[in-house]
Amino acid sequence: MGPPSGAVFAGAGFKVVMLARDMGKARQALEGAQNAARAEAVADRITLGTYEQDLARTVGEAGFVFESLAEDIALKKKFFEQVDRYRRDDCVVASGSSGLSIAGMAEGRSDSFRRHFLGVHLFNPPNVIVGAEVIPNPDTDPAVTRAVVKMMRERLGRKVIVTRDRPAFVGNRIGFKVLNEAAQLAGEHGVAFIDYVAGPQTGRAMPPLQTIDLVGWDVHRAIVDNVYAQVEDEAHSAFHLPDFMARGIAEGRLGDKTPKTGGFYRRPDKKTVEVLDSASGSYKPFEAPRRVEFVEKMKQFNRVGRYADSFAVFADATGPEADIARRLILGYVSYALNRVGEVAESAEDVDKIMSFGFNWAPPCAIVDLLGARKSVELFKRHGLVVPSVVEKAAANGGKLFHGGALQYGRTFVG
Amino acid sequence: MPKPAPVYILGGAQTDFARNWTKEGKHFVGPMREVVLAALEATKIEPREVESAHVGNFAAELYAHQGHLGAFFLEIDPTFRGLPTSRHEAACASGSIAILAASAEIEAGRYDLECVVGVEQMKTVDSTTGGDYLGTAAWYERESKGIDFPFPKLFGRLGDEYDKRYGLKDEHLARISAINYANAKRNPNAQTRTWFMSESQAQRESKFNQVIGGRIKVSDCSQVTDGAAALFLASEKFAAQWAKRNGKKLEDLPRILGWGHRTAPLEFDLKVEESRENTYVLPHTREAILDAFRRAGISGVEQLQAIETHDCFTTSEYMAIDHFGITKPGESWKAVEEGLIEMGGRIPINPSGGLIGAGHPVGCTGVRQMLDCFKQVSGTAGDYQVEGAKMCAMLNIGGSGTTSCSFVVGK
Repeated sequence: MGPPSGAVFAGAGFKVVMLARDMGKARQALEGAQNAARAEAVADRITLGTYEQDLARTVGEAGFVFESLAEDIALKKKFFEQVDRYRRDDCVVASGSSGLSIAGMAEGRSDSFRRHFLGVHLFNPPNVIVGAEVIPNPDTDPAVTRAVVKMMRERLGRKVIVTRDRPAFVGNRIGFKVLNEAAQLAGEHGVAFIDYVAGPQTGRAMPPLQTIDLVGWDVHRAIVDNVYAQVEDEAHSAFHLPDFMARGIAEGRLGDKTPKTGGFYRRPDKKTVEVLDSASGSYKPFEAPRRVEFVEKMKQFNRVGRYADSFAVFADATGPEADIARRLILGYVSYALNRVGEVAESAEDVDKIMSFGFNWAPPCAIVDLLGARKSVELFKRHGLVVPSVVEKAAANGGKLFHGGALQYGRTFVG
Repeated sequence: MPKPAPVYILGGAQTDFARNWTKEGKHFVGPMREVVLAALEATKIEPREVESAHVGNFAAELYAHQGHLGAFFLEIDPTFRGLPTSRHEAACASGSIAILAASAEIEAGRYDLECVVGVEQMKTVDSTTGGDYLGTAAWYERESKGIDFPFPKLFGRLGDEYDKRYGLKDEHLARISAINYANAKRNPNAQTRTWFMSESQAQRESKFNQVIGGRIKVSDCSQVTDGAAALFLASEKFAAQWAKRNGKKLEDLPRILGWGHRTAPLEFDLKVEESRENTYVLPHTREAILDAFRRAGISGVEQLQAIETHDCFTTSEYMAIDHFGITKPGESWKAVEEGLIEMGGRIPINPSGGLIGAGHPVGCTGVRQMLDCFKQVSGTAGDYQVEGAKMCAMLNIGGSGTTSCSFVVGK
């Protein structure tokens, strides 16, 4: 995350110093930033250094410090201890963590540090994905939060939400609940089947299990384990990592970054795709699942921009495949909108981060497409919590999503 | 000749030009439907009120293997059954030709409310194939066949012609590129809003900024874009009713104040040969602009506050600067150096980011340009608003300066 994040700040016109363990790694990071920006000239605004040689001077001169270390709270705390020692009184410090406790990282730091410290979660890759979360800790000066949000909106072109300091924040909490549930269902129904029935036609750029392979099984595990250990909510069991994934990780199966050991999918060569048999841990050649009528109809409607017709098919489809798809997708909408007031400030914030952080259909748009009353009926039928915002919309007959198909159409794939 | 009946612009919408409809699994009618429905919502116009529809598109037959685009308008809403529709093509000026056809119908008193849609889906093919398709906007057999990326080469030669007649420094072209990219960062629908570009990057020839043809590098080029835009044009009769029901004054509604439409010979060499004795490299383009000024009753560019021009390449914007009369012929570099064309300058060019920054879905571009002129003069351009913009002009070019359409939009 460091190099592309550096490119994002440099691209916004900031003078950036990138620090790494040694100059070799720093030079690699610069190359990473140039590749992310697809521009050699991004280097015009970036200088390099090492923690050992340059941290004190660099931090002492900086107006903004962005931490992008591994997701290890002890390591981050050690780094912030040093930053606290050298920083100017007005220097803002941000952790790029994707879900660790921001307040925890600020523990033991000076008053000035804590007032100027917050989480700034950029989604990966930040040069492409513009969703971002800002997470103040209880001591963060509200003026600092406002200034950081303004800078990220106006200079970095981010779609920003301010979230509460809860495990995995808003985007990853909601997103990884759905992804992990898809992984659990894959153990029961097969990998290719789950990616087919809960595929891009349901409002996402990429099928869920392919997404886990892209993110990395280790990163996935870190996020769901953190939430499972620290959060008790209506979907607690959905954060339990499937046993076959735990076994796979132990064997070095981490998804796309381990092409030989694979993930849910494995590509031994450019032409061949294999799919994981979760029970045995072996791979077999990928075969497209048997076509299911409601899935194909949804794709046809999405292709021509008729999203309400697509979701009418989704709502009314019969058969076990439709029930599985509805459990996942309605489960997403219910869980997402039920986070309003707990970790997210508003349904609009939930929509924004799922749309611009994950490239998933905004939950409110799905409710509008189904109709709020129909959504309530479906939630109840599938044993899901009815979020209060949906209940209100059903009572008032109002629309939940701010905007229209121009804003969400891209997420429904044909 | 009596003054023609006024043509009002009531508003419209555009798609996010960063989208890739192929990756979305979309037929072009999907985003076309999205954009017209959004335009209806934005203008509070009912589908039943629309009397005629015009679709601007360059090459759906090639990119999407589909012709007869006018008829696709009916797929948007069942109310549109029976509506007169048509499709218009003049390469990259297709959108403007659709606007001209719609406004002519209003001037003739045939209809009171017209929808103009520009649409192009381009990411269905690889860049070499796409470059070849674009070659059909020139005289294909003579200028494009068997040539990789013929258009960058043709517009590179436009730069060469300037160089020959007046001298041209590539650093000025790099500045034009950087300005367009910088403007695009403020436009929420611009294709390149998250990309990196700087003057220093645009100046260098490198791995990420390779030469495409002649003096044209990647940074000098507009983008390959999937995009659609829709506009509603109205007669005074409809506009007056519409203004009343929306609590607006008729005199506050933007209008097409003037238009110009000229065609030069297809072949670039012939254009240049015929203009040899002229101080303007593309005199027909200059005439289209002057026609628009004359019909708008304005003396020149000094009465405008912003311009949306056809920067398919940096050389075409360089050409537009002197052809609009911002500088004397051959002195476009002065406007670049003095910052006249930047946001905050005397006459900002492409506040939207233009074709380089905002994107260039070929047959849609003219409609997008007019939508942006509308936004500027109605004060609704958001972060890329030019303060105090009352009158804007646009220039939309098809081929290598072959079809030139210019409009003046104001109140």
